[in-house]
Order: sequence, then structure tokens, then C-alpha cells
Amino acid sequence: MSSPTTSTLTITQPTEQRLVGRRRLIPRWRVRPDGVVHRRRWPLTKKRIIHLDGRFNPKSLRREMVVSDKRPMWWVIALGVIAIGPTTLGNGRLLAVGTTFLIYSAINLMWILVVGTAGILSLASLAVVGAAAYTSAWLSISHGFPWPLMLVVGGGVGLVFGAIIAIPARRMDGMYYALLTLGLVELCRVYVIQSKTFGSATGGLYGADSFVPAAMRSTLAGFRVGYVAAFVLLLAALAVYRAVNGERLGMVLRVAREEEAVAESMGIGYESARLAVFLISSAGLGVIGGFYAAYNTGASPNLFTIDRLLLLFAMIVIGGSGRAEGAVLGTLIVTLINDWFVGWGPKRVVIIGVLMLLVTLFARAGLFGIRQQFIEFRQKKSSERRADRVQRKGIVVAEEAIDIQDKQDIAYRAFDRAQRDHLKNLITPQLVEEHRAKPMGQHSDDLERVLNYFRRTPIADKYAVYTVVPFAAYRIVSMSGVPGVPPRIVDDRVHASIDEALHAVFVRRVDDLMGS
Amino acid sequence: MSWFIVFSAFSLAATYGLLAIGISLTWASLGMLNLAQGFTFAVSGYGAWTMSGVTTHPVAVMGAGLAAGATCGVVVSLLAFVPLHDRPNFQVRSLVVTLAISLIGTQLLQQHYGPQVKPLPKLFGDGKLELSGAVLTSDKTGAIVVATVVLATLVIWMRISRRGVQLRAMMQDPQGAALVGVSIRTTAVMVMAGTGALAGLASVLLAQTYFVSPQSGAQPLTKGLVIALLGGLGSISGAVIAAIMVGFTEALTADHLGGQYVLITQFALVIVVLLFRPRGIGGLFDEISE
Repeated sequence: MSSPTTSTLTITQPTEQRLVGRRRLIPRWRVRPDGVVHRRRWPLTKKRIIHLDGRFNPKSLRREMVVSDKRPMWWVIALGVIAIGPTTLGNGRLLAVGTTFLIYSAINLMWILVVGTAGILSLASLAVVGAAAYTSAWLSISHGFPWPLMLVVGGGVGLVFGAIIAIPARRMDGMYYALLTLGLVELCRVYVIQSKTFGSATGGLYGADSFVPAAMRSTLAGFRVGYVAAFVLLLAALAVYRAVNGERLGMVLRVAREEEAVAESMGIGYESARLAVFLISSAGLGVIGGFYAAYNTGASPNLFTIDRLLLLFAMIVIGGSGRAEGAVLGTLIVTLINDWFVGWGPKRVVIIGVLMLLVTLFARAGLFGIRQQFIEFRQKKSSERRADRVQRKGIVVAEEAIDIQDKQDIAYRAFDRAQRDHLKNLITPQLVEEHRAKPMGQHSDDLERVLNYFRRTPIADKYAVYTVVPFAAYRIVSMSGVPGVPPRIVDDRVHASIDEALHAVFVRRVDDLMGS
Repeated sequence: MSWFIVFSAFSLAATYGLLAIGISLTWASLGMLNLAQGFTFAVSGYGAWTMSGVTTHPVAVMGAGLAAGATCGVVVSLLAFVPLHDRPNFQVRSLVVTLAISLIGTQLLQQHYGPQVKPLPKLFGDGKLELSGAVLTSDKTGAIVVATVVLATLVIWMRISRRGVQLRAMMQDPQGAALVGVSIRTTAVMVMAGTGALAGLASVLLAQTYFVSPQSGAQPLTKGLVIALLGGLGSISGAVIAAIMVGFTEALTADHLGGQYVLITQFALVIVVLLFRPRGIGGLFDEISE
């Protein structure tokens, strides 16, 4: 079997990606022999494209790089699939559902800036989107605004709306504010249904300008244009989310979310930060509203229904409101159930509800929080097991170990404990009888081991034989262990011979051993 | 202002107030915003309707409504409060669970009973009372009387009974209550059964004027939330005052502007009040307890 291929085979060392103990799998990159690593950065910024940490591997004795944050890679893969998949498959329905998914994702990304990052439960997201959509659609129909201007108008309306809803947020507590914003959505719906300007008779406003050319509407090409435009919208929303959540503003908001007093004492002006996030998020939602109106060539009161709001709420609850990938995944799941599997009928709502229920009952922060929650759970369990293990042997518990300066002492105690446990098993009536018969030896192996242990004990409180009258009277004393302090007499028994006295000492020590 | 407006304002206030006090009590004692109260409302309507197929005796029908509401409340507390109350982020998570329950439940009701509305038998007869030019129909009079009696009983019960003391201890400080031996879970199940029964009563009373349907809980839930919010979550007296205010707004708006503007004026009222008193009318209690 000496083919060329086998001859070139060399024995490979075990790959370094193998797990060692409970360590997590981390992909490692070899560093060039000269040890130079180029950290690529985004142009004109100091932000790195991929976060690499340099480490020394004690096994391979080499320097290597570890990717400390793999999320950018996953994002590129996911966005690539989203961009290429539906556009190349050429299915009109898939493109339409996909566009809905992309628009809702963008809405949710803007929304979780307020709900997740700032931690203010505001349900006004759809009210902002709807108000912007209605205003821009109305301006487009009555004043002939082209679609780019509709986006601008939408952003302006969102900004105004954001300022309005930010005022009560400064004064009101969480749940009061949530209910107030819920009321705002209902108010918008009722107003739009009643108002003649906003098409109460026709069930919405239609006939606005659109970025999909009129000739292409309801064709595959038209759907594709809409999809690509919505994808660009999602990218823009992701950029805004990253710019707010990942930078200083997001950090300030997260501190204020955890504890306002702490934020204040650190000199953080969280009130202005909250105002800023409201304005940014609402302006973003307004632009999305304008986009929505341009995509659908109008707006309908459906935007404001409580059912629609619940659907959006279900999306961020299922995905988790703290992270961008959570919002997008939640949107994907709910849109898939609600818009793709239309044939399931009313069952869809039940499925979404059950999903919501399960995720909320069992996961702390949505589907994307499960991993972290599982890691924490496993750490808790292993720490419990460790504590249990240590306590059962009764040697040194972890807390006590911190206080012991000489760490060797910890090991010695463990050894001493194990040795005592072993010696206890050796002690039998026959052994005691053997010692009584012949205290000075010659001894069996077991007895010799027991006696060796006794001899090695520290001098403090060690028993000794005290000669009162040579060859006539002996007593047992206990050493003080302190120079200059005489031993104390243990009891008032007087032994006639030295052998008897030695055996009495042995019995006392055995009693102490068995009692420990 | 005619007597008719006063009268209909009070009858609306009576039914919505029952629901609002349920929401308010749950919030104050359990720290949970129960958005499944509307679903409980619908379930008890169907419970009463099922019983009315067997017998039309008023006590039996009302009792069935109350029992269905209480059962539903217990189920909600077992799903939303008991597993979550000592977990992080309890407020928002319990809110989501109650929302999910109401979403699922409403859909199941619709599948089981169909979308048609169901009428309940007239429990208070068909009588009419003429009072200084206003016609008092028996259904509205009955609603006002029953709701007042039940509310008065509730307030007295909360003052004198041992359970009531437990409930008030939970409202003041759940941890303190737990320290002196009040079982949080048992009290929570009890509170939810009680508030569920209140929703059941409101459902039976309102079904005297309207019908029972799967979505019949949505409107009363909104009204109940508005009243609870306006009155200050956790305050019974605040809720009563707010219920009367909301009832009057509704009756006046319906009389002068038209029924479609009711929600707009109500929310405008809430927003105005909350801008000046961010914790509602009875919110003084919250500020003191802090």
C-alpha cells in the first residue's frame, strides 16, 4: 500500500479545536510566523471588522488568534441568504411575504431601541408608523409628492410624534406609560376611521406615488423591486440600531435602565438620552411609515388595529427585545406563521399565542437569550455539585479556602481526613487486644500504621505517660504544646505498670480517632 | 343635563367599574397587569349562557357566570403568576403571558362557539320605572344595584375579614406580607379568583344590555384599563371616582357628539388627568407607601 497519497500523509497533532474539559469551542487562527496580525478596520473609523484576541497557547507553545465575537460572520451569512434567496427563486408570493418580513423587521429594530435598550415599554410604534404613512400618503395624493419626499415627510412626522410621546415618558411609571401608548394607538385608529380626509368612506387612502413603477405593479419584477427596496430599508434600520445601541447613547440608556439613581450619581444625563432615543426611533419609524405608504401606494386603518400591535409585540417577545438578531428572528417566525401559512386559518393565532406563552414562561430574554440562560444554568448546577462534593467530604469549603493563607494546608487537611477515614476501618477489638498484650511490639502491620499516625500528631494535646513512682505508679498527662507550660494531668487513674499506662494512652487516642 | 344621562352614566360606571377594580386590585396586590381580564369576561358570559340553556333562574345564571369567571381567574394566575412571580422581569413577562392567554382563549372560544352572538335571559325582568321624566329600565337599575351591593360587600370584606387583611398586607408590601406568614401564592390565586368573579359579574350585568360574543371582552377591557389607569392602579376609591367620570364622559359624548367619538374623549380625559397626576386620581396612596 505505497501509493503516493499515503506517503505524503503525516501524523497530525490532535487539532486544537478539541474541547478540553468544559471549555467552550473557540475557533483559533494561527498567527503568521513573524507574529504580526493585521486587524482590519472599517474605513475612517477605529472599529474593527472582526474582533480578534491574541492568546498564548500553553500546549502548542504558539501564539494564536481567537475570534472573540462571531456575530458579524453570522450576520453576513444570514443577510446574504435573505438578499439572494427570494430574489433568485422568483416566487411572487415569497417576495411579497418577504417584503412584509423586511418592513416589520425594520419596525421592530427601531422599536426595540425604546423597549429593549432604553427599557421603556412603549406600544406606540405602530401609531408612529401609521401616522407617518397616512400623512405622507395624503400629501402624495393631494399635493402630488413624489416617493422620496414621502420618506422625508414620514421622518418629519415621526420626529414630531416622538417629541409628543417623549413628554409623558419623563413623568410616568412603566405600566402607566404602556397603557397610555396603547390608548394612543386606539385613538389613532378611531380617528382615522372617522375622518373623511383620511378616507373613512373608502377604508383607507390609496393612490399615492410608489417606487415601484406603475407598469411593473403586481408583476414579478415589481415584487422584486419592492423586496430589494425593503432589504435596503432593513440594512438602514440595522445601521441605525447599531449606531445607537452599540455606541455611547446605548450604553448610557442601558445604565439608566438598570438603575436610574446609579446613572444619575455617575453624572449621566439619562433624561436627554431618553429624549434622543425617542426622537431617533420615532424618526426611523416615520421613515418606515413613509416607505410603507410608498410600497402599498397608500395606507389603511389596519395599521392601527390591536391585533396588528399584538402581532408585532409577539415578534419581539419571541425573539427577545435586547438584541437585533432576536427582533429579526422573532419577526421571521411570526411572519412565516401568519403570512406564509395562511391556509392554517385561525389556528395561526393560537400557535403564535402558544409560542409567546412558552417563550415567556421558560426563557428570560426570548429565543436569543436561551443560550446565555443555559450557560448560566449549567454553571449554577456545576457550582452546586462542587459545593456538594466538598461538603460531603467535609474538608474545606470554598469560602473557607479563601481564608487559609497556606494553600498546602488545604491539601494536608484533605490528606489527613482521608487517612483518618482509612485508619478507622483498621481498628477492631482484636487490634486493641493485640496492643494490650504487647504495647511495645512487635506489632502487626495494621497496628503499626495506626501507631505511626498517632506518633505523628502535633505536640499540643498529645498524651504522654508521667512516672509518679518508677515501676510502681504511672499517670497519663496531656502536653501543653507551649514551652514553659507544664503538662496537665488528664484523669485521676493511677496505673501500676508502664505497659498498662501505655495501653491506656492508646485507648484514649483510639477513642479520639473514632470520635473525630 | 337630563336624568337619563346621569342614569346611563351610572349604569355604565357600575359594570366597567367592576372590571376596573379587578384590574386595579390585581395590579396592587400581585404587581401584575392582567390583560386576560377581557377574556375572563367573555368566558363568564359563555358560562352564564350555557347555564341559561338548563335553567333561566336568575341566581343560577349569575352564579354560573361568577363560577366561570373565578375558574378562569384561577387558571390565569396559575399560568401567569405562580411560575413567574419570583423570576426576573416579572412585570413585563406576566403581562405577555396574560396577553397570550387572551389571544389563545379568544380564538378557542370563537372556534368552539362560533362567531354568532348569544343573548342572555333578562335576569331583572322587563319592568320600566318612570322617574321625573326619565325611563329607568330594569336591566340598568339592576346593574347599578347589584354592582353597588357587591362593591360595598367587597370593601367591608377587605376591612374586617382575615383574608382581606392578608390582601391589604400584600398591597402594602408583598415581601413584608411574606415575612409575617402570608402565603403569596395562595393569596394570589384567591385574588385572581375574586377578580375573575368580579369580571364574571360585570359580564352577566352587561349582557343584559348587549350580547355575549368571543370578542365581547375587548371593549370592556379597554374601558376597565382606562378606569384603572385614571383612578390610579391599586386604589379602589380612585377606581370608583374614575368609573363615574368615565361613565359620564361616555354618556355625555354619546349624547352630544355621537357614539363614535366616545373613545377619543375618554382617552383625551385620561391623557389630561395623567399629565397632571401621573399616578392617577387615587395615586396618592402609591406616593405615601413609597
